[in-house]
Amino acid sequence: MIDKSLAIKILDVLNSPGASFSEIYIQKSISNSIKLEDGKIENSNSGFDSGCGLRMWKGESTFYGYVDSIEEKRLIEAAGILSAAGKSSGRGSVLDLNKDIAASRSAYDVAVREYPSKTQTASKKKILMDIDGICRHFDKRIIQVTAGISDVEQEIYTVNSFGKSSYQEAVKVFLSVNTVAKKDGEIRTGYKSLAGTAGFEILDMQSCRMAAEQAAEIAVTMLDAVDAPSGELPVVIGPAFGGVIFHEACGHGLEADAVLKDATVFKDSTGKKIASAAVTAIDDSTIPYHWGSYKFDGEGIPSQKTVLIREGILESFIYDLRTSLKMGREPTGNGRRQSFRHIPIPRMSNTYIAPAGNKKEDLISSVRKGIYAKEFAGGQVDPATGDFVFGISEGYLIEGGRITRPIKGATLIGNGPEILKKIEAVADDLDFAPGFCGKQGQSVSNEVGQPTIKVSSITVGGTG
Amino acid sequence: MKESKIIGLKANELEKACERTAAAIPSEKVDQWEVFAAREVENEIEVFNGDIESLSFSDSTGIGIRVFRDHSVGYAYTAVMERGAIIDAIENAVANSKVTGKDPLKYLPAEGDSSIDEGRLKTGDLFDRSFLDVSIKDKIKMTLELESVTKKFDKRITAVTNLGYGDALSEVCILNSNGFSGSYATTISMVYLSAISRDGDDVSTGGYFGIARNPLFINIMEVAKKAAERSLAILGGKKIKSGRMNIVMDPLVSAQFMGVIASALDADSVQKGKSLFRGRKGQKLFEIDIDVFDDGTLPEGLASRPFDDEGVARGKTTVFKKGVLQTYLYDTYTARKDNTVSTGNAARASYRSTPGVGVSNFYIGPGRNDPADLIKNAGRGLYIMDIIGLGSGTNPISGHMSVGAKGLMIENGELTRPVREVTVASDILSFLSGFRMLGNDLKFMPSGGYMGSPSILIENIAVSGK
Repeated sequence: MIDKSLAIKILDVLNSPGASFSEIYIQKSISNSIKLEDGKIENSNSGFDSGCGLRMWKGESTFYGYVDSIEEKRLIEAAGILSAAGKSSGRGSVLDLNKDIAASRSAYDVAVREYPSKTQTASKKKILMDIDGICRHFDKRIIQVTAGISDVEQEIYTVNSFGKSSYQEAVKVFLSVNTVAKKDGEIRTGYKSLAGTAGFEILDMQSCRMAAEQAAEIAVTMLDAVDAPSGELPVVIGPAFGGVIFHEACGHGLEADAVLKDATVFKDSTGKKIASAAVTAIDDSTIPYHWGSYKFDGEGIPSQKTVLIREGILESFIYDLRTSLKMGREPTGNGRRQSFRHIPIPRMSNTYIAPAGNKKEDLISSVRKGIYAKEFAGGQVDPATGDFVFGISEGYLIEGGRITRPIKGATLIGNGPEILKKIEAVADDLDFAPGFCGKQGQSVSNEVGQPTIKVSSITVGGTG
Repeated sequence: MKESKIIGLKANELEKACERTAAAIPSEKVDQWEVFAAREVENEIEVFNGDIESLSFSDSTGIGIRVFRDHSVGYAYTAVMERGAIIDAIENAVANSKVTGKDPLKYLPAEGDSSIDEGRLKTGDLFDRSFLDVSIKDKIKMTLELESVTKKFDKRITAVTNLGYGDALSEVCILNSNGFSGSYATTISMVYLSAISRDGDDVSTGGYFGIARNPLFINIMEVAKKAAERSLAILGGKKIKSGRMNIVMDPLVSAQFMGVIASALDADSVQKGKSLFRGRKGQKLFEIDIDVFDDGTLPEGLASRPFDDEGVARGKTTVFKKGVLQTYLYDTYTARKDNTVSTGNAARASYRSTPGVGVSNFYIGPGRNDPADLIKNAGRGLYIMDIIGLGSGTNPISGHMSVGAKGLMIENGELTRPVREVTVASDILSFLSGFRMLGNDLKFMPSGGYMGSPSILIENIAVSGK
C-alpha cells in the first residue's frame, strides 16, 4: 500500500534515535451503518478512513504516532516527530535495518462471497424491515424493535524493521436486534446478534429470522420474570454467550501485559493447576469466518490457535510482540488494535472452553436449587484482584432438577481463580457468540464461546 | 519535541474546510445541509517502573456531512480531507438520504426550536492558552512523579497499573445551509491510575484521576494519595451475608449511577418506549427534595460547549426539581415531536456519527450534610467505594439494576471492616425513591457525559454475598 523505498525511508527515520524496533501500519477502511427503529430507517451512514500508525521502541519505551493520511510528506513529518521524541529520551544503539523485506504468510485464507461494497443499501434496508416485521409478528407485546447492520471493508499493510511485511483484506458484518416488550407496567428487553469476518452471505433470510425471533422471544419470556434470588447458588451456564464467564474470570488475566505489570492473579501460574480438570480453554483466531478471526494480527503476526489451559493446567499466556520478546516466548498472534489510531496490545480473539462429554440435561437435573443462565449483557473484571462480574439478561430458576420460572436480570459476581476450580462439569454443545471487548479505550471484535457448563457455587446478585 | 509549532490553533483551516465542502454540495440534490468538522490533537503518556512505557501523539481532522432531502436524512464522513474523498462523502450522504424514513419533522435547527440565550460561556472558559506552553518533558516528569509518589505512599502499595497522562486540544466548526456558522476550541488534561496494594494473599485496587484545562492545574499529590487510600481502605475485604440494608455511595460511585439515570432521560429513548421514565413527567420520583441539572455551560465542565452538536446554544436544564421530574433532554428533532424546544442536548461521539440526544454535565445539586453524617445515619449498612459491571448490570429500559460492589461495613454508624465480592440490586425507581440524605461533597467524573454527585444515603437495598 506504500512504496518499498518509502517504507525503508520512514523506518530509517524511526530507527535513527537508536530504536530496537520500528513499524509502519497502514489501514484503509470503508464503513457503513444503517439503523432501523420505530418501524423505519432512522439513519444510514457511510465513512472513509485512511491512515498510518508509526511505532518505535527504544529501551523500555514505545513511541507512537498516527496521521489520517498516507501521503509521503505527512508520514515523513510524523516519523520525524517520533524520532525527535526518541532522541530526547537518551542514547540507544543504532539498529541495522533489514532491507530485504519479506512478506509474511498466513494459513488463514477464506473467500468472501458478498462484499458490502457490492451490496445495495436498499437490500440492507429490506433485511431490517423484515426483521422488524418478524419481531412484531412474533408477539403483540413487542412495542419496539431496534435493528442495525454495520459493515466494513479494510485493507491493512504492516512493515517493520525486522524485515517483515504483511498484507490483508478483511470484511466484517455485524447485525444486532434489540426488542422491547411491555405488559401492564412491566417492560423487558431482548437482544440477539449475528456477525462474522465475512460478507453479507451470513445474513441469509433464515439466520436473520432466527435472530429476530430469538430477540423477540427473550423480551416476551422475561415479562413473566420473578425476582432473582440472592446469595451463593449452583449455576448452569448456557452455551455461546455463556463463554463471557471465562473471558472475564480468566481470559483478561492471561493477557501478558497484565503479567508484566504484576497486575494479574495468574502471574506465577504457568504449568500449575488453575482450573478444575474439566476445563480446557483455547484462543483461536483462525476459525474461518468467525467474528474474532483474522489473517494477521495488528502487528503482522499470522493468526493461530493457542491452548491456554489444558485439563486445568495453565499452558500459555496471550502475547503480542513486545510481551513475547520480553518474556522470551513466541508471539501468539494476539497483538491487536482497534485501528491505525491505536497501539497494539495483547487481546483475546475467539476464546472458548472446549467441549467435553456431558449432556446439558444432566447438568441441569443435577441441581436441586439454582439458576440456569442463558443469555448475557456482558461483564467486567479487575485482573489484579481477579474479581469479576457478568450480567444475566435471560435466566431461569432451577428447582428440583428442572428449569422453571424466568428471573429478572441479575449480576453474578465471583473471583476468577476460585470460580475456575468450581467448574464441575462441561457439556458437549459448544457454540459461539460475537461481541466487542473494551480494554484501555480500545474496542475490538471478540467472540466468546463454550458448551453448557456447571459452576458449583457463585454469588447471584438478585433482590429475592 | 517541537510540539508547540505543530499544535497551534487551526480554526481558520477548519472553517475553510467546511466552506470548501459546502461549496461542493450539489444544491439541486438536497434541501438542506450541515457540515461538521473536528480536529483533535492528542498526547498520551503511560509510565511503568520509572520508565516511559509509551508515548503517543496524534493530530487528526475529519468531516461529517448531513443532508436533508424531502424530509429524509443522510450522513457520511471522511477522515481524509482530499477533495476526491470529500466529493465521495457528499455522494454517499445523498445516497443514504434515499433509504431513510421520511419524517416532516426532520430538518435543520430553525427559529423557534430553542429558547436558550447564547453567550453564557466565555471563550477562555473552555480553552487554556497556556496549555500550549507545557512541554512534553514536563508532562512526562509529572506522570513519572505520580507513579513514584503513589508507590512511596505505603509499603503495601506493590504496583501501579493503568497509570497515564492524556491531553487533547479539540476544535469544532459547524456550518449549515440555514446560515449557522460557529466554532470553538477546548483543552483538557487528565491523569489516571490504579494503585494495587497487597497484604499476604489479599489484593486490592483503587483508582483515581485528576482533570483540568491545563496539566499544571492538576494536583498530583492529591491524586496519588486518593488512589492509594482507596486501595488500602478495602484491602482484605470479605464477602458478607446477603440481606437488605442501607447503603452510602461515595461520590465517585453515585456519579456513575447518574450516568445510567441520564441515559434514560434522553427524549429519543422516551419517545420510543425505551426508557423507564416514559410517562413520568410531573411525578415525584425522589421522596426527598432533590434537584438534578444538566448544565452545558459550567465553566469547569468537561462537556461544556457554547453550542451543541447541531449548533443550538447549550444551556442549563433543571431535570428534577424538589424530586419531581420536570423535563427530558431534547435536540431539535425530538423537541418538535413533543411540541417543545431543544434543551441544547444534540450530541455526537465524533464527526463519524450522526447527531442524537446526549447528556452534557449532569449532576445532583449537593446537600448540606457532612459525608460522615450519612454514615452515622445509616446505622448498619454498606459504604460503597467501588462498583464493577455497571454496563452489563443496569438496564435503563426495564429499570433492573444489579452491580458488583466493594467498600466498608457500617456498624453502629461507623465504618468498620472491608467488604468485597458482593452485589447491590434494586429496580431503578425504588432505588431513587430510597434516597434519604445528600452529602455536601459534589464531585464530577467522566462517565458517559460528565457526571456529578455528592455522597448519597439510600435506604433498604438488597445486598447479595454469602
